[in-house]
Amino acid sequence: MPSSEPIELTSLDLARCRSWPYSQDHCVTCGLCASSCPVSGVDGFDPRKLIRLISLGLDEAAAESRWPWICTLCGKCENACPMEIDIADAVRRVRSLRDRDQVPGILQQGLEAALEAGNNLRLPTEDFIFIIEDVAEEVAEEPGFEGFTAPIDKKGARLLTTIHNKLVNTHTEDLKHWWKIFHAAGEDWTISSVNWEGTSWGYFTGDDRAIKTMAGRIVEQMETLSINTLLWPE
Amino acid sequence: MTEKRVLIIGGGVAGLTTALELTRFGIESDIVEKSPFAGGHGIQFACKATDRCVKCGACVVEEKLRDVCAHPGIRLLAATEVMSIEKKSRFSVTLRRSPVSIDPAACNDCGACFTACPEGAVQQGFSAAHNPFYGAMEDRCSRSSGGSSCTICRDACPQQAISFSPEPAVEETAADAVIAAYGFTPFAPIDKPYGYGMFDDVVTNLELERMLRRKGLPLRPSNNALPEKIAFIQCVGSRDAKRGHLWCSKICCGSALRLAGLIRHRHPQIEATVFYIDIQTFGKDFDTVYPKYQEDLRFVRAIPADVLAADDGGLKVVYAADGTHESREEEFDLVSLSVGITPCTGAEKTLSALGIDQPENGFSGASRDPGVFLAGAATGPMSIAESVADAGRAAIEAAAYLAQ
Repeated sequence: MPSSEPIELTSLDLARCRSWPYSQDHCVTCGLCASSCPVSGVDGFDPRKLIRLISLGLDEAAAESRWPWICTLCGKCENACPMEIDIADAVRRVRSLRDRDQVPGILQQGLEAALEAGNNLRLPTEDFIFIIEDVAEEVAEEPGFEGFTAPIDKKGARLLTTIHNKLVNTHTEDLKHWWKIFHAAGEDWTISSVNWEGTSWGYFTGDDRAIKTMAGRIVEQMETLSINTLLWPE
Repeated sequence: MTEKRVLIIGGGVAGLTTALELTRFGIESDIVEKSPFAGGHGIQFACKATDRCVKCGACVVEEKLRDVCAHPGIRLLAATEVMSIEKKSRFSVTLRRSPVSIDPAACNDCGACFTACPEGAVQQGFSAAHNPFYGAMEDRCSRSSGGSSCTICRDACPQQAISFSPEPAVEETAADAVIAAYGFTPFAPIDKPYGYGMFDDVVTNLELERMLRRKGLPLRPSNNALPEKIAFIQCVGSRDAKRGHLWCSKICCGSALRLAGLIRHRHPQIEATVFYIDIQTFGKDFDTVYPKYQEDLRFVRAIPADVLAADDGGLKVVYAADGTHESREEEFDLVSLSVGITPCTGAEKTLSALGIDQPENGFSGASRDPGVFLAGAATGPMSIAESVADAGRAAIEAAAYLAQ
């Protein structure tokens, strides 16, 4: 929706989004959100406009627009907002209003993969284990890390850590930093061989049920492995 | 009724006006002002007339101060605070005078003390009615804060006008009614992301007012040169739920526009940009000046998110551009923050002794004591004109009470 296009005011309904708990009605359109936003101006996006749409009850217009998907949910706007409006949460709510087949492809496909296969990449367990062991061997070759192994499915470990899918895809080097810290600290840690995905794209698509499923699986792993502490670096 | 006496707490425009209005009823008063310079914030403001008067009200404060100083029925006690106050049959009041005093009869305003003080504790007044023109700020003076025995200002004075008392002088007085006109505290923009206190060329609108009053020029503090581009950032500390300041401070739009208009009138080469939410046109006179400012100034309808240092010593202001809405950086060389009016701090003990309610927003409500009256910005944001009107109302109410 380009900023110059007029909005159909007949659909304006101030009561419509009143139950939304984001304090959107407190907006004084000061623009601190837009001034601090890294993507303000992309396709005419301005957080002020989205907040204004929902405070006027034009949630459908907001859902149809591209703006909620231009937003990166970084939260700088919320930090800047003097009226304590939960802007990023409101954006997520607007995302949730779209039919799932209207959610931008890559996000929805990743989420569907995660729900079906346990991770966004549909990476089979044996491949996952192979990658983890391979990277662990590389760490063990470095001075000071002789004998290093990455414990998988270790029952009763103190700490369970999730994995961002890019760390077993394009960024395997980044696994090593965590592991070296664990090693140096003498941490008793482990990774789960299934449902290890730490990235919850339900958050980005506005799918609360998916978020609950993904989080539930992690909790299930903690229970299965008798682990009380979770490191969820997302 | 001439035996009745009123204590006025606060020597800003509201306090001064109340004292003058009370004299119409033959009522004498003591004005107690904690700063060495009476006149409050208003006396620090520059006249902002261009080719015509823009009704800023600065001259009104000057006039009130002169009239008060000249009136035999008003005692103006500067550098004085109320230490305690108690209602018996009358109000009995203990006043505390500053331990550093400059005798107005001996002082010839030469400024030797001002030049000599290594702490910047001796400051200049703002008006010819400030007599003496120099005063010691207790909070900066090492004799008060650090317990030192520094005598530099006294030694520098060729008139032997400066004296120190070992303990602050205490004076007992009595009053039949009290006017609480202790004004407001400007918002301190320290934790706003505008680099105030970090960058020399980020100033508050009040500092810009003082600069224009004293020097007549809007100079960059970093190099004392005229700026090429000035940014005015509105609503700094006002309309801000995070700080519990939900109110509009009412005066800042008028203040910033008049300041910018004055600067552009005197220095047409200086560009002035106002970053604003919406222009609050309080007061019946605003329409007479606003159209000219709309033509003459640049307006951007967004409050900036950041002020950053630029490589060449300038300041980069980060804001959402009108039209495109993109967040962009633009360089300015002076930034004026229009700071909000916030409740007066430091007077809590006196307020409580006077039975004055403090509603949630921190401004003063009414007093439970029928002999206590509130006037001016102590009760909420007010312009000079509104403070004068409110002070008139308080004086009439006080006079009616005393006539009972």
